[in-house]
Amino acid sequence: MSPRARGILATLAALALAPGALAVLRAMPAFGDHPLPYGDAVNRIAPAERIVSNMVTAVNFDLRGFDTLGEEVMLLAAVVGTVVVLRGSRGEGVGDRPATCGDRPIPPRSEAVVLLCRIIAPLTLLYGLYVVLHAQLTPGGGFQGGAIIGSGLLLVWVGEGYNAWRRLVPGVVLHALEGGGAGLYALMGFGAMLTGAAFLTNVLPLGEWGSILSGGVIPVVNFGVGLAVSGAFGMLFLEFLEETREPKDGEEP
Amino acid sequence: MSSALPPLAAAGPILVAAILLALGHHLPRRSADIVAVLTALAVVGLGVLMATRTGNGALLHWFGGWSPRDGLPIGIAFQADLAGSAMVALVGLLFAASFVFAWGFFEEVGVQFHVLMLVFMAAMCGFCLTRDLFNLFVWFEVMSVAAFALTAYRLEASALEGALNFTVTNSLGSLMMLAGIGLLYARLGRLDMLALGEEAARAAGDPVIPGAFCLLAAALLIKGATVPFHLWLADAHAVAPSPVSMVFSGAMVAMGVFGLARLTWTIFAPVAEVTAALHAVILWLGAAAAVLGGMLCLGQRHVKRMLAFSTVSHTGILLMGVALLSAEGLAGTLAYLVGHGLVKGALFALAGVLMARLGGIDEIGLRGRGREIWPAGLAFAAGGLLLAGLPVGLMEEGTKLLDAAAGSEPYPWVILAVPIGAGLTGAAVLRATGRIFLGWGEVKGEEEHAPSEDEAEKANRPLPLMLAPVVAMLLLAALLPAHLAAEVAQHAATGMMQPGITPASVSGGEVPQHLPLGLLGLGLALLIAGWHLGRSRLPTLLSEGVEAVSAPVFAGLERLHSGLIGDELAWILAGLALLSLGIWFA
Repeated sequence: MSPRARGILATLAALALAPGALAVLRAMPAFGDHPLPYGDAVNRIAPAERIVSNMVTAVNFDLRGFDTLGEEVMLLAAVVGTVVVLRGSRGEGVGDRPATCGDRPIPPRSEAVVLLCRIIAPLTLLYGLYVVLHAQLTPGGGFQGGAIIGSGLLLVWVGEGYNAWRRLVPGVVLHALEGGGAGLYALMGFGAMLTGAAFLTNVLPLGEWGSILSGGVIPVVNFGVGLAVSGAFGMLFLEFLEETREPKDGEEP
Repeated sequence: MSSALPPLAAAGPILVAAILLALGHHLPRRSADIVAVLTALAVVGLGVLMATRTGNGALLHWFGGWSPRDGLPIGIAFQADLAGSAMVALVGLLFAASFVFAWGFFEEVGVQFHVLMLVFMAAMCGFCLTRDLFNLFVWFEVMSVAAFALTAYRLEASALEGALNFTVTNSLGSLMMLAGIGLLYARLGRLDMLALGEEAARAAGDPVIPGAFCLLAAALLIKGATVPFHLWLADAHAVAPSPVSMVFSGAMVAMGVFGLARLTWTIFAPVAEVTAALHAVILWLGAAAAVLGGMLCLGQRHVKRMLAFSTVSHTGILLMGVALLSAEGLAGTLAYLVGHGLVKGALFALAGVLMARLGGIDEIGLRGRGREIWPAGLAFAAGGLLLAGLPVGLMEEGTKLLDAAAGSEPYPWVILAVPIGAGLTGAAVLRATGRIFLGWGEVKGEEEHAPSEDEAEKANRPLPLMLAPVVAMLLLAALLPAHLAAEVAQHAATGMMQPGITPASVSGGEVPQHLPLGLLGLGLALLIAGWHLGRSRLPTLLSEGVEAVSAPVFAGLERLHSGLIGDELAWILAGLALLSLGIWFA
């Protein structure tokens, strides 16, 4: 279609959609006036039966924990897919070594950047771990903490450069984290079935209110997600940061 | 009936995929291939086992033991009915065939291909078994994410373009689905589909529910590649590696239809506006897809693109059965779906054989070059005949059931779209068989050369290994006892339709008149294929006269499939508008 025909078709379609969309909008509940039976039920059930103070975590890792297995796998599929697409042309054989383009200039980092990164990278990693481990108590959890750990890994790259980064964080380990995290989640599900309960039933002792070990299975599967997310982000950076860019015209090696 | 089996279908392959990924570097060569085949076969076994246990009602599994409290569902349930279990078995079978076909094909990426495919399989199984609307979305999305990467694998310009169109259109579909789920949840406060159905029945006249249906249906029709939501499909299926195309066309597209049937019969059946629109709009969209897809299929010379359009045509047929809103129609869809999945999987594998053995995929460019691999030619012809409507096996049973269901329609002749679509697609496949394997249908002049460079796939596998899954799938589609298939399909359909929310009666009480639809399609296919192959021997006046009339039509249709992402999105918007108009006017 010509751009003009496409525009006409889209406009006509949007006009035809307008009355229906308006009717739906007008029938929506008023702002703030919203009965949420599910939220009320969770607020009743989670603290009493799971000894956790973060309701979002209770929903994500227990009440609807099976969704989270799917979401974790979605992230895993996205990252493995990225690796397949980016590495497909180079082949698995070179995946273990950092690829570089011989003539490409790699400007040296300033000492200030190196120092700063050496200070804040470990702190960021530590903070990420803290967020992962306190999922059932305070806002945060495996997904958020894993992403923070991922940015900590990126700081290592900023400070130390790609080659050093690859030595510190081997791809094999990242794959093991990704797969191991997802595997841990699924295994906890099957483990519960071995006791005769349903998949992902919370069969571990629930612990005391406010303890980092409270929530039974919740901290375990959440830790699995934390592992998988950190591994996944690390893998993404590893593939995207390959220094294979051709040198530009006039760039000195 | 509570059962521990349903979660295994989704969580089992996920666990295997996770272990493969974690240990991938330490496993001996080929072990990933073996593990993947065994896992897929285990899923087949599980599907069959669940199907045999559904006699006393569907198998229910509340995850984490969170069964409803005071009538409010708080957890997620898998509910394996006969239809869902059969779909799991079909999915497992197609993946097993694909893994055998792809033996050693993806060596470059190590275990990553297997990880993606296993996750893809788990997502489809979860999609077929879940009873929770948001969980359905999760599996829908996992399916898409795995599929995007598998499409782009070869990293050539065409593969990247196809994958990008696929990604953009299907992500738009995901957004629409999420919006639809949001509307339903905001209005009804539930995510469990059976509970949603009960609530929807109480909320009669609320415009939010039909609005949500439009969005959900559009998302599923994008996945199911129905006219006018289908433009991404030919781009994606034609460029994906053949083992991946097998499961795309065999199973993934069918998921759209199956999902629509599931939502219709669990949530929307009691909502009169929705069933009226479904019947008024989607029935005719399905018929249009059957015919237009067939014409587009006939117009192709790139064999994989041809098969991709034939998928559009046959998915249209499947959709008609859903839109007929009767047990027989749904049973017809289910039987046809399984048969078509097997046949189409086999045909895409054969296209892969062409690319691996002959180093090309252009029908005219390969003319006569297939003689050395004649067994593949026999299978190709068998696939074409089955598509066209050879009166044996699952597709024939499905067609009969669809015909019976359409007998009580106000316009029963709409069912003629079935033999037309089947005939056109069968003709295209038979024509390709005649050209490639027999050397018939010479084309003179500049058209003799392929418009694009030859596409080849790795030829590292022996021919018998590649043909074994093809033969197995074709035999299964053709030789399954007809009465058994029809009976199972009818049980599956009635099991999917929740009791108590049956829409208005569709049977007029008369015995519907049966048309020999299969033979009609077969006759049409043989006629058209014969015409194309023997055209050079016919009188010039006749041959050129027909050409002068038909050529502009085919060229016009082809021009609409520009592969431009803007066009695809504009048509999706138009389709959504059509659905919404159907709601307000039906």
